Parts: sequence; C-alpha cells; structure tokens
Amino acid sequence: MNKKTLLHKSLLVLSVIILFFLIGFGSFYSYWNSAPASKTCASCHEIENSVNILAQSTHRTLTCKECHGTALSNGLHSLNEKSMMVFNHAKNENTEDIRLNEPQMLEVMNNCTRCHKIEQSKWLSGGHSAKYKDIFLNEKHNKTEQLNFDCLRCHGMFADVDIDELVEPLDIKGPWKFKDSAVANNPTIPCLACHQIHNEGSPYKSPEYSNPQDIFYKRKHSVSNVSYYNRHDKTKIMAENLPTLKLWENERQVKVSDDILMRNCIQCHAPNGKHQAGTSDDRTPRGVHEGLSCMACHDVHSNDARQSCIKCHPAISHCKLDVKTMNTSFADPKSPNNIHWVACTNCHKDAKTLKK
Amino acid sequence: MNNQNKFSRRQFLQVTGVGVGGICLLANCGNSISIWRFFSNTEAKLMDAIADQIIPPDDWPGGSESGVTNFIDKQLVGPYVRFQQDYRKGLLAIHDSCNDIYNKQFEELDWNEQTAFLEKMEAGKMHGNIWSNGFDKTFFSLCRDHAMQAYYGSSRHGGNRNNKSYQMLELDYPLIIGQNRYKS
Ligand code: HEC
Ligand code: HEC
Ligand code: HEC
Ligand code: HEC
Ligand code: HEC
Ligand code: HEC
Ligand code: HEC
Ligand code: HEC
Repeated sequence: MNKKTLLHKSLLVLSVIILFFLIGFGSFYSYWNSAPASKTCASCHEIENSVNILAQSTHRTLTCKECHGTALSNGLHSLNEKSMMVFNHAKNENTEDIRLNEPQMLEVMNNCTRCHKIEQSKWLSGGHSAKYKDIFLNEKHNKTEQLNFDCLRCHGMFADVDIDELVEPLDIKGPWKFKDSAVANNPTIPCLACHQIHNEGSPYKSPEYSNPQDIFYKRKHSVSNVSYYNRHDKTKIMAENLPTLKLWENERQVKVSDDILMRNCIQCHAPNGKHQAGTSDDRTPRGVHEGLSCMACHDVHSNDARQSCIKCHPAISHCKLDVKTMNTSFADPKSPNNIHWVACTNCHKDAKTLKK
Repeated sequence: MNNQNKFSRRQFLQVTGVGVGGICLLANCGNSISIWRFFSNTEAKLMDAIADQIIPPDDWPGGSESGVTNFIDKQLVGPYVRFQQDYRKGLLAIHDSCNDIYNKQFEELDWNEQTAFLEKMEAGKMHGNIWSNGFDKTFFSLCRDHAMQAYYGSSRHGGNRNNKSYQMLELDYPLIIGQNRYKS
C-alpha cells in the first residue's frame, strides 16, 4: 500500500468512526435529556443522593434541567466534569463531594429568578446584591483593612479561587484590580448563600377543608429552607442547626430573639470574638427593641425596614411619637438614637421617674 | 472564559468516555446495588446497631442517627482503605457469632444482649477461629475510635449530622465572629 491510499483509508475509517460516534452520542444525549432523572442523572451514584433529596423537596415537580440547564447549555465545563467523574470512578477515587462551581451556581441562580421575579427585584434593591467590584475594590475599606482570605467568608463565598487569585495587589496602598475582570459584576451574596434547594420541603397546597386537622391553625408549618453557606466546609447548614448568638453588654447578657431565621443574619452581621454588643457589624437590637428579630423590621430580600414601624407603632408606645418620621440616625452606630439600640434613657434622662 | 469553549482533543476523548460510560451505566445499574460505598446494605444495618450501642441515643442523637456508619463507609473508600478488610471480616464475625450463640442477627438481639455481646468483644473473650489473635478486642476498639471520630468530628467527613454534637457541647459552629472593622 502506498502512502496515499493509506492516508485515504485511515481518513475513511476515521470519518466512519466519527459518524458512528455522532449518531450514538446524539441519541444517547437526547435520551439523557428527556428521560426521568432516576434513570439518567441518578445512574451516577455520586448524583443519586441529590436526586433522592430533590424528590422530597419543595421543588420536587421540576426536572433537573429547569435549574441546572442541560450539560451543553452549561458549556463544556460541565460535560468535562461529568467525564472526569466517570474516570475517577474507574480509578476508585472519591468523587462524591461534587459541588457546583461559581459559574454553575450563577447559572442556576438565573433559573431561580425566572420563577421568583419578585424576590429577585427585592434582592436587587437591597444591600445583599452588592457586586464583587463594590466589595473588593472599595478604596476606603481596602485602605483601612487589608484584603485577606476571610473576606470571602461573608461576601464572595462561592468564589472558586482564593483572595490572592482574585484581587491584586494584596496591600493597603492599591490601586486594586481584579486578576480576571470578568468577575467584577458577579453578585457577592447570591440567592444560594441563604437557600438550600436539595432539601426536604413540601409544595404548597390548599387545605383539605373536609379534614378538621387541616384547618389553618392546626396545619403543620412547612419548614423554610433557609440555610447558610459555610465556605470553609463547602456545605450548607440549615438555619435551625446554626448557633444562636450569645451577646454581652459589658457583663449583662443581652436578650436575643430565638427566631431561627435570625441565626442566618448574625453569621455575617456579627460582633467581635468576645461577643460584645455593638462591636464589628453587630446590629442586634437592644434598648426599646431588645429581643426583637431582625425580621420584625427588615424585609428578608429588600432589607427595607421603614415599612415595619406601623406593625407595632403607635399601638405600642408610651410616648405617642410618630416613629415613622422620627430620626433614628441608624447609619451612625454611635448615634444616641440608633434604631438598633435606642433606649428610654436616651430620650428621658431621668428614666426612673417614668412609669412603665 | 473563552478558552473553555475550545474543544481540545483530550476533552473530546473524555466526552467520548462519558457517552460510552453513560451507556454502560444505563444498561446495567438497576440490580440490587448497595446504597453504600463500601458496606453492603446488611453490613450497614449491623454497623448502625453497633454505633447506637457505642453512642446510645438520649436527648441527643445516637451513633446511627448522627451518621457513624456513613462516616466509616466514606472513610473506608478514602483515607481508611487500610481498614476495609478489618470491617469486612469483623462484621461477618459478629454476624456469625450471633448466629451461633443466639440464632439471631445482632440487630434482633435486645438492647442488653447487644451490650453484653460487645462487652465480651471488648474484653477479648470471644470464641472461635475468626476472633483469634485478639481480633475481638482490636475490632471493637477500631469501631469505638471511628464512632467517636464520626460523632465529634467535622460533618464534612460524613458523620456528626447537622453538627449536633457541637450543639450538645454548646460550641458555636460556624463560629460567630465579625470582620475586623478597623480594629473595633
Ligand atoms: C429548583 C432548582 C433545582 C432543581 C430542580 C435541581 N437542582 Fe440540583 N442544585 C440546585 C442548587 C441551588 C444546588 C446547590 C446546592 C443546594 O442548594 O442544594 C444544586 C446542587 C446540585 C448538585 C451538587 C451537589 C450538591 O448538593 O451541592 C448536584 C449533583 C445536583 N444539584 C443534581 C441535580 C439533579 C440530578 C437534579 C434533578 C433530579 C437537580 N439537581 C435538580 C438546584 C436545583
Ligand atoms: C420552574 C419554576 C421554579 C424555579 C426554576 C425555581 N422555583 Fe422556587 N418555587 C417555585 C414554586 C412554584 C414554589 C412554591 C412551592 C410549590 O408549591 O411548589 C417555590 C418555592 C420556593 C421557596 C419557598 C419554599 C422553600 O422550600 O423554602 C424558595 C426559598 C425557593 N422556591 C427558592 C428557589 C431557588 C433558590 C431557586 C433556584 C435554585 C428556585 N426556587 C427555582 C418555582 C420555582
Ligand atoms: C463576618 C462577616 C464579614 C467579613 C469576614 C467581612 N465582611 Fe465586609 N461586610 C459584612 C457586613 C455584615 C457588611 C454590612 C455592614 C453594615 O452595613 O452594617 C459588610 C460590608 C462591607 C462593605 C461595604 C462598605 C462598608 O464598609 O460597609 C465592604 C466594601 C466590605 N464589607 C468589604 C470587606 C472586606 C474587604 C473584607 C475582608 C477584609 C470583609 N468585608 C470581611 C460582613 C463581613
Ligand atoms: C441574606 C439571605 C437571603 C438571600 C441572599 C436570599 N434570600 Fe430568599 N429568603 C431568605 C429568608 C430569611 C426567607 C424567609 C423564609 C421564611 O420566612 O421562612 C426567604 C424566603 C424566600 C422565598 C419564599 C418566599 C415566600 O413567600 O415563601 C423565596 C421564593 C426566596 N426567598 C427566593 C430567593 C431568591 C430568588 C433569591 C435571590 C434573588 C433570594 N431568595 C435571596 C433569605 C435570603
Ligand atoms: C452572607 C453574609 C450575610 C448574611 C447571611 C446576611 N447579610 Fe445582610 N448584609 C451583608 C453585607 C455584606 C451587607 C452590605 C453590603 C454593602 O453594603 O455593600 C449587608 C447589608 C444588609 C443591610 C443593609 C442594606 C442596605 O440597603 O444598606 C441589612 C438591613 C441587612 N444586611 C440585613 C440582613 C438580614 C435581616 C439578614 C438575615 C435574613 C442578613 N442581612 C443576612 C451580609 C450578610
Ligand atoms: C426595630 C426595627 C429593627 C430591627 C429589629 C432591626 N433593624 Fe436594622 N434597621 C432598622 C431601620 C429602621 C434601619 C434603617 C433602614 C432604612 O432607613 O431603610 C436599619 C438599618 C440596618 C442596616 C443598615 C444601616 C446600618 O445600621 O449599618 C443594617 C446592616 C441592619 N439594619 C441590620 C440589622 C440586623 C442584622 C438586625 C438583626 C440583628 C436588625 N437590623 C434589626 C430597623 C431595625
Ligand atoms: C415588632 C414590633 C415593633 C416594630 C416593628 C417596631 N417597634 Fe419600635 N417599639 C416596639 C416596642 C415593644 C417598644 C417598647 C415599648 C415600651 O417598652 O414601652 C418600642 C419602642 C420604640 C421607641 C421608643 C419610644 C416609644 O414610642 O415607646 C421608638 C422611638 C421606636 N420604637 C421606633 C421604632 C421605629 C422607627 C420602627 C420602624 C423602623 C419601630 N420602632 C418598629 C416594637 C416595635
Ligand atoms: C427617641 C426618644 C424617645 C425614646 C427612646 C423614648 N421616649 Fe418616651 N417620650 C419621648 C418624647 C419626645 C415624649 C413626649 C414628651 C412630651 O410630649 O412632653 C415621650 C413621652 C413619654 C411618656 C409620657 C410622659 C409624660 O410626661 O406624659 C412616657 C411615660 C414615656 N415617654 C416613657 C418612655 C419609655 C418607658 C421609654 C422606653 C421604652 C421611652 N419613653 C422611650 C421620647 C422618647
């Protein structure tokens, strides 16, 4: 055989192989995308767990695709990852702790917001939608506190890289910039920082009016799946399993609400290591509002609090004040009227004479 | 971003791998596969019973509820591969000995019988070839050590479900500590 026919032949063989592959893979692929998850996704046992839990979740009626997209719409990365799983599997390496990477997480989030528009708009209007550039390129902050790995605990928790791969230079002189400018507009606290999806829950349904046990005050409350993403472990911890804050005002222990949801907030809005009230980013109510949960005033997504006063005031008040219009100088933690810890004695110097 | 979209030869091969791998997974997987990584379903049930004996449930979850079996199973295909044979042999030995003595499975014994059985193991007083060379003692202490690691370790490793042991010890997990805020 001369060189030319050899080349010819091998080209032919190659194209037949490719054709074969395309047909085979194509049909396999369309089957994969349409078949029930228990037959496809779950056939990798690494994913089986995710499938089983989803089947008991609030979103049980959705297909994997509705949140995760298909392997292809997700880009090669994901296919590549799945193939690595098969290989590692064959090599008997542990592949079960698979987690979504940041781009995948953001793609999933784009799908959440298809259905949850209202929550998205509120989130956008509040402080939690701050972008990477707002947090990591903030001159004032960076000049006073050097960027370090711990920043990513509370913002940018899904970043695939560590701080030294994210921003340069790591000093307090600047000017600072991202090593990969594509991250600048990524959200620092996406929905999935606070919500766990592969988790037990039940879809909402109307009460069974014929069943007296199902009348509203006897219905079992569906647990909400608020959780906190712990970057250190790469796991989500349900709010009910998070610690409650123990807080001290000098020697006195502050009364802290036992609202489960508030345990999420105080992971980030946290006092210093000694748990002294008012230190660091602590905003735990003291004074007239001591014992209230953040959620008594703040909307969970927009963070708005101005609308809340009317729930309690002027009904509960000694002073007949129009609290909605009063200046509570919230933004200055040192203000005597800071809404989070204004006390009777701030306005009534002689508090002892007040009858409560 | 861009370079992610290039289809390299290596990736091509990997993708082919998925296709082929996927098909054989689809073809076969159905039949009576253990839901565990190393243990069989029967071994896991036995392991659960032992875990509850070592750490009995009270106001707080016991060994099985806190995921001791899951921890051991996970570690056995990871850092603890070297103990695989000990577990295979040890669990079989317990199973066989229970059959000989009680004509029952370990899980079917009542609580005090189970305790007595494990105490005998701990004391090195088991009979039979399979327990020779003090295997009863060593296997018991292996289970006990691993159960403790599971119960008090990080839940990342498969045990300590929902960090319950930290709550029991009143340890905050994750630690509540704010950012430095300019040394306040
Ligand atoms: C309602 C949206 C939604 C649906 C539907 C969904 N997922 Fe997920 N998935 C997520 C989110 C969000 C995460 C990140 C972890 C979490 O919040 O539970 C995730 C994470 C995962 C992970 C990574 C492991 C982990 O737990 O972090 C796998 C694997 C996975 N999903 C597989 C599936 C499969 C298979 C299906 C179909 C049976 C599915 N998902 C359906 C939203 C969804
Ligand atoms: C296809 C539409 C759809 C998508 C996509 C979707 N959801 Fe939902 N979600 C719903 C519906 C509908 C409900 C109300 C529960 C029910 O009756 O099914 C719900 C309920 C919820 C709840 C409240 C109940 C609970 O379990 O706490 C949360 C939180 C939530 N979704 C978050 C998310 C997040 C985060 C994502 C993206 C990972 C997401 N959803 C994706 C439709 C969707
Ligand atoms: C314990 C969680 C936590 C850590 C760690 C943390 N932050 Fe924050 N950060 C917060 C909270 C909470 C706020 C909102 C504070 C407020 O408005 O009361 C915030 C606000 C900010 C802001 C908005 C402007 C401002 O100063 O309020 C910037 C910028 C910022 N952080 C940067 C950083 C950087 C850089 C680091 C690392 C050196 C860091 N943070 C570490 C929780 C944290
Ligand atoms: C800082 C934490 C946090 C972030 C970020 C966050 N949520 Fe929530 N979300 C909560 C809390 C807390 C609740 C209230 C749960 C409850 O009342 O039981 C909630 C409730 C919900 C609900 C249920 C609403 C209902 O009426 O039952 C949906 C849906 C939801 N969130 C979607 C989203 C989406 C979509 C995003 C991102 C755009 C998002 N959340 C971001 C904390 C958060
Ligand atoms: C993952 C960390 C994290 C969690 C959890 C968290 N926050 Fe925040 N929060 C922040 C950061 C960071 C900012 C400041 C962002 C900025 O100023 O750029 C902030 C800002 C706020 C603001 C000010 C918003 C504004 O418009 O200035 C309020 C109010 C707030 N959070 C309340 C809450 C409540 C209530 C919860 C619990 C449901 C909560 N936060 C949970 C990190 C967090
Ligand atoms: C009594 C009602 C009330 C409670 C309870 C409350 N807040 Fe606020 N908070 C406010 C008001 C009012 C503002 C001003 C916001 C505005 O004008 O929209 C505010 C502002 C904030 C801000 C931004 C400005 C600042 O002070 O730095 C943060 C952050 C915040 N709250 C966090 C929290 C957290 C975290 C909790 C729970 C630990 C909490 N708040 C509990 C009423 C409350
Ligand atoms: C969940 C209920 C609740 C909400 C919401 C609430 N408060 Fe209050 N507030 C109280 C209680 C309770 C007191 C203490 C009354 C007492 O001890 O006499 C109080 C007292 C006060 C006082 C002291 C003067 C007085 O009238 O007693 C001020 C000022 C005040 N609140 C401002 C606000 C503002 C501003 C808002 C809205 C941002 C707000 N509160 C939202 C429950 C609430
Ligand atoms: C933000 C400032 C502020 C706070 C905080 C505050 N008050 Fe007042 N209070 C006033 C003002 C202003 C008046 C009205 C005085 C007047 O009309 O002469 C008033 C009036 C009163 C009165 C009626 C006094 C009288 O002589 O008629 C009582 C009682 C009272 N407050 C009790 C309290 C108690 C108890 C608290 C704490 C729970 C409290 N106040 C917190 C500002 C405040």
